[in-house]
Amino acid sequence: MLSHLIPLASVFDDVPLGWFLTLSLLMFTLGGLGVMIRRNPVVVFMCIELMLNAVNLSFLSFAAYPSPVVGDPNQAAMSGQMMVIFVMAIAAAEVAVGLGIIMAIFRQKNEVDVDEMSTLRG
Amino acid sequence: MQDDIFKLIWWVLALPLFGFLFQALMGKLVIDNLGPKIGRTMMGAFAVLPILGSFAIAANITAALRALPEDGRSRILTLFEWITVGNLSIPFEVRVDALSMTMVLIITGIGTLIHLYATGYMSEEKDYTRFFTYLNLFVCAMLLLVLGNNLALLFVGWEGVGVCSYLLIGFWYKDLNNSFAANKAFIVNRIGDWGLSLGIFFLMFMAATTLGVTGQGSDPRWLSYDVLLPNIGVMLENYGHWPLAAAAILLFIGAMGKSAQFPLYLWLPDAMAGPTPVSALIHAATMVTSGVFLLNRMSPLFEAVPVAGAVVVIVGCITALLGALIAFGQTDIKKVLAFSTVSQLGYMFIACGVGAYWVGLFHVATHAFFKALLFLGSGAVIHAMAHNQDMRNYGKLSKYIPITFGTMTIGWLAIAGFPFLSGAFSKEEILLETFASKLNWYGLPIGLIGFGVAMLVAVLTAAYMTRMTFMTFFSGEERWKLIPAHAGHGHDDHHDHDHHHGDHGHHDHGPDVHNFFYTDAEMAEIAKRTPHEHHHDLDENHKPHEVPATMWIPLVVLAALSLVGGGWLFFGVQLPEWLASAGVVVHHHEEIKSIPYWIQKVLAKPIFWAATAAFLLGVAWGYARYFKGLPEKDGVDETKWTGFQKAASKQFGIDGTLTWGSINLGKILGDISMAFDKYVIDGIVNGLGGLSKGFGNLFRSMQTGYVRGYAVLMQIGIVALLGYFIYITMIGGAN
Repeated sequence: MLSHLIPLASVFDDVPLGWFLTLSLLMFTLGGLGVMIRRNPVVVFMCIELMLNAVNLSFLSFAAYPSPVVGDPNQAAMSGQMMVIFVMAIAAAEVAVGLGIIMAIFRQKNEVDVDEMSTLRG
Repeated sequence: MQDDIFKLIWWVLALPLFGFLFQALMGKLVIDNLGPKIGRTMMGAFAVLPILGSFAIAANITAALRALPEDGRSRILTLFEWITVGNLSIPFEVRVDALSMTMVLIITGIGTLIHLYATGYMSEEKDYTRFFTYLNLFVCAMLLLVLGNNLALLFVGWEGVGVCSYLLIGFWYKDLNNSFAANKAFIVNRIGDWGLSLGIFFLMFMAATTLGVTGQGSDPRWLSYDVLLPNIGVMLENYGHWPLAAAAILLFIGAMGKSAQFPLYLWLPDAMAGPTPVSALIHAATMVTSGVFLLNRMSPLFEAVPVAGAVVVIVGCITALLGALIAFGQTDIKKVLAFSTVSQLGYMFIACGVGAYWVGLFHVATHAFFKALLFLGSGAVIHAMAHNQDMRNYGKLSKYIPITFGTMTIGWLAIAGFPFLSGAFSKEEILLETFASKLNWYGLPIGLIGFGVAMLVAVLTAAYMTRMTFMTFFSGEERWKLIPAHAGHGHDDHHDHDHHHGDHGHHDHGPDVHNFFYTDAEMAEIAKRTPHEHHHDLDENHKPHEVPATMWIPLVVLAALSLVGGGWLFFGVQLPEWLASAGVVVHHHEEIKSIPYWIQKVLAKPIFWAATAAFLLGVAWGYARYFKGLPEKDGVDETKWTGFQKAASKQFGIDGTLTWGSINLGKILGDISMAFDKYVIDGIVNGLGGLSKGFGNLFRSMQTGYVRGYAVLMQIGIVALLGYFIYITMIGGAN
């Protein structure tokens, strides 16, 4: 089933799973910091995408490496890849809704600073 | 066959009710369609006819009742089961007996005459059908009061007449004073009704516990007279003297309110704000006597507890004396009659208190004759004198209004106690009964005190009634001619006057800018600018005129009753025996049944001569003072009045003091309640709210509204949660 991926398999042999997870962790952290620090909603969205993709990376990594827990490696690979497709679809939907909200707020306030959107302050 | 006629009693109740519904629902329709003249005639006829029909039926029933043997003269008819609670049963039932039928005949008989009179008196009234709506409803409620066979129905009628009285006193409600008078009557009556309802509850409680326990409660209609009254003795054994006395006194407090006894008499003089037919029917002849009726009905109870009788006599004495004294200070002809009514009601209660219940009712009947006559006569005088009610502006009216003069003279002689007129009979009986009474209270001879006060009041009554009659019909000059005519008012159209019947207040005063009420000043202003109002001014150009036939026919009938009614009730009806058949307690002092016997004995009776002397004394005083002319001491200039008269005109300050006192006491209680509500109740509620608010304030600073803030918190939360999971799986789980 995965015969066409076999040349890549050596990559996985040489690079251990930990590196992929470390990369994923860095990406997630960067994304999270961005969400917390940046005030432009578009950038915030990009950071959210970064976080999502970090998670996607870790999903794919776990799919590519055989699991000691799940018996059938093919099924484990399929599960991880399916999750990634879900995440991408939902991320797309979320961006559509989010950009719509940002447009609506822009029409109201003529600006898109995230910190200005604090009318729910107690 | 004999019983069938008693079933007609429902029609006696129903006819005024139908009359009320017809007036209320169809009145506007009829008058709008037929025009005011024909419409009013028709609605007037349909107001009188139900009452007349009731009277005719009641007269037939009474005749049938008299045909029965004395011990069987009581019929109870039940229409439906009204209230059933637990074991207690209160059916909608009426009692046809001598007492109730006597009252029914007074109510419907006098009621018919006064309705007839009112069709004339109110003929120019804008709200003609509204007046008769209330009046028919009043008759219906009053009939329910006297006919009902239990205290609950009596209470319904009691409140019904109260509400009609309220509506009719405030009939010309646009004048704020009338509305105040109506409110006063209603509020003062509430005090009496409080006593009445408590008395009823008390009696019901005692009846339920006593009769239920002793096995005599097989008939659970504990509030019905035929169950309650025969068992008073059992209740007395079970509960002792004081609880029953308390119940009787509470019932008497109800009677005090409705029958205007001291100190609850305050509302009756003010009630004269209503139209004169109302004063005659409700505030003289019928409603105010319902207290005497109650005492007659409950006479076995009052008989069982002498202390209640003593209270009744004392209150009656104070009222009789006070009313008579205050009447001397009044210059308004209707006010004199109002205080006279208060005084005469006190008289009735003196009689009831010493145990002569039938004499109280006797005086109710004769008083209904002559006081209705006097009120209607005063209405005719007021009508003739352009609605000026001040007697100081009258004088020598006997020349102008002969029928009114003749009939009112009979009324005056009857109330003053001229021998052999109706008032004299009942008055002499009261004197006799009080004199013969052995009633005493801790050694205090209550009966004799009652006799002394009754004698004194007999003199006073003759005196103030003579004052009123002479001031109105004789006394020298025609005093309204001393009032200069208003400048700028032409009187060439004065003959139009006949077309303006009715009292001042009823005219449509133009657009109601105040939505509802006018104050005194505004009423005067309106009267000034309304063009036809000046016809009603009493001044030198006024010519008094006799009233129309619809108004003088009732006067003549009532005068005839005032002449012979007393003797007829005494000898013809033989009231003591007649009422005794209805369960009214009657003590026989002397057997007076036939006229020859009476001539021998009564003329030899000192009481007869004492009463006659009282009459002569009072009239002599009045003659000396008022026949020749109005004395300066009682003239227009009130500063020249004697101190006594000044005080009497202000009711010796009683009205003012009690009103002021109760208002201020109420205010103090209200302030205390308000403070309690404000600081205690609101304190608890607001305190709880404040507590939540404080906690809320504590935590609200967390809600910055910044998205990043929430994101940080979320991440911290997730990290903490994950850390915890890691801790329990890696470290905690290992343990």
